[in-house]
Amino acid sequence: MKSIFEGPALRLIAAAIVVVNGFFPAVWILLTSLKTETELVSKPITYLPDNATLANYVQAFTSQPLLKYLGNSFIVAMASTVFSLLIASLAAYAIARLNLKRRQLILTCIIASSMFPLVTLLVPIFETMRTLNLLNTYTALVLPYVVLNLPVCTLVLVGFFQSIPKDLENAAMIDGCTRMGALWRVVVPLAAPGVFTAGILAFVNAWDEFLLALSLNSNPNFRTLPVGISLYQGEFSFPWPVISAALVVAIVPIAVLIALFQERVVGGLTQGGLKG
Amino acid sequence: MSTHQEHPVAGTTTWDRLRDPSEKTLGVMLLAPAFLLLALIVVYPIGKLIWNSFFDLRLSGGGEARFVGLENYALVLRDADFWNAAGNTVLIVLITVPAALVVGMGLALLANLPFKRQWPVRLALLLPWALPLAFAGLIFAWFFHSEHGVVNDVLRRLGGNEPQMWLLRPNWAFAAICLTIVWKTSSFMALILLAGLQMIPKSLYEAAEVDGATKWQQFWQITIPMLMPSIIVALIFRTITALQTFDIPYTMTKGGPGNSTETLAMLIHKTTIDYLDVGYGSTLAVCMFVLSLLVTGFYLKHIGKNA
Repeated sequence: MKSIFEGPALRLIAAAIVVVNGFFPAVWILLTSLKTETELVSKPITYLPDNATLANYVQAFTSQPLLKYLGNSFIVAMASTVFSLLIASLAAYAIARLNLKRRQLILTCIIASSMFPLVTLLVPIFETMRTLNLLNTYTALVLPYVVLNLPVCTLVLVGFFQSIPKDLENAAMIDGCTRMGALWRVVVPLAAPGVFTAGILAFVNAWDEFLLALSLNSNPNFRTLPVGISLYQGEFSFPWPVISAALVVAIVPIAVLIALFQERVVGGLTQGGLKG
Repeated sequence: MSTHQEHPVAGTTTWDRLRDPSEKTLGVMLLAPAFLLLALIVVYPIGKLIWNSFFDLRLSGGGEARFVGLENYALVLRDADFWNAAGNTVLIVLITVPAALVVGMGLALLANLPFKRQWPVRLALLLPWALPLAFAGLIFAWFFHSEHGVVNDVLRRLGGNEPQMWLLRPNWAFAAICLTIVWKTSSFMALILLAGLQMIPKSLYEAAEVDGATKWQQFWQITIPMLMPSIIVALIFRTITALQTFDIPYTMTKGGPGNSTETLAMLIHKTTIDYLDVGYGSTLAVCMFVLSLLVTGFYLKHIGKNA
């Protein structure tokens, strides 16, 4: 097992396996996006593009409302992240700090809601949104996404609140702060890293969601990136070069986000996962 | 955690009480938004779902809901499409969950080596997790393209026989979908397992070394037992999400060819959103709900035994 990879050279091979496994689809789609259509259908296929071109990117933005999709994804992900954080931090503070009798039960209730298959909720949510005339609005997606993110955000934030020494809060209250004052001046600043971590997880979840976005917002003006790109239609066949360019555009924001904050993301994910 | 609570003393106006509420009032205030939202988006829909499953309710005709009792359920039991989709879903769970666990374990063991720079490996595990499932489906559909896909190109170079038309043949399409799911989900498994690996004290391995245990024995006697909590969490999580498989088959094959790769989630989506048959769609969803309850219950019972 491990003994095989003990030398430095072999360690490099181990790293290479993991890195190639993680990056090859993204790299391949990047290469594809730089090829011309004629090169793509040539046989045998080429690996590196012969004449790298950015034409597919231009076409991705002009032939389809890619910018609109980007904007929709951003608005929906951002709004649902802000609301989940707001609601989850209130709940998490209550669970972590207050002297409540059934705190474990309350936390279990919130987490259990993530056990329900989303697709079973889809049917009544679709019907309700249709009745309320909310299909093809941002609200139709933001509301369910907030709930979708509530469990993981609450879990991460409970952990963070519990790690802040209670004495700090008590000291502030002795110095004349009210409970709310202590919360705002002491707990909120100290919990900021936790809120940020939970926020990234919520943002990625909302950015990636497909089933609800496909079912509730089918109007091109309200499509998010995954829906918009998967419904790209060429005149004759699936336009792979343009799709690849659009995919690269859609992956870059999320890749930058996780590259910048990878340690936080890993911490949040494993904390959320291990305590669930 | 004990708290000494000071109730507001002088001049208790409403404002004072809001600024310095009692423990219980504050608790209710803080938890209310979360539970209101859960009631609106989870509890109410579940109730509505069960209610609707007893009705003939089609949004397309504009007709009224007609109470049909258990008729929808009787239809489900005789519905070949339902059994096909249920079979496919269970098969996807049985294939991809263990496979993702094994691959994820391999990745976690490799990533746990003492590298000088951690970030390339970490990023390589995070990227597949952060990639939308729908994108993974699209990218792998391109990989498995019969004419211009890289998979068949490699096979042509290796073999010589004309390779498979992956996504156009039922069993091969199913295999391609399973491969894609395993690639997409094994990284998350690896992240969870890696966190577990890093919590195992080094001294355990040193002691085993002194006692002359081989690496293989150390893996089975130390790593696996110590990792059990992480493995169980990862398995539960993965199973629940695998039962809901939708994005990857939808973007790769739309359930085809025929309905050979259609999952339960896809059947429910098609019935409700495309055919607007809310009554029957609800019944299918209740059946799926029961299925996932059974699976979760099975796991919890198993963990109960382990713990």
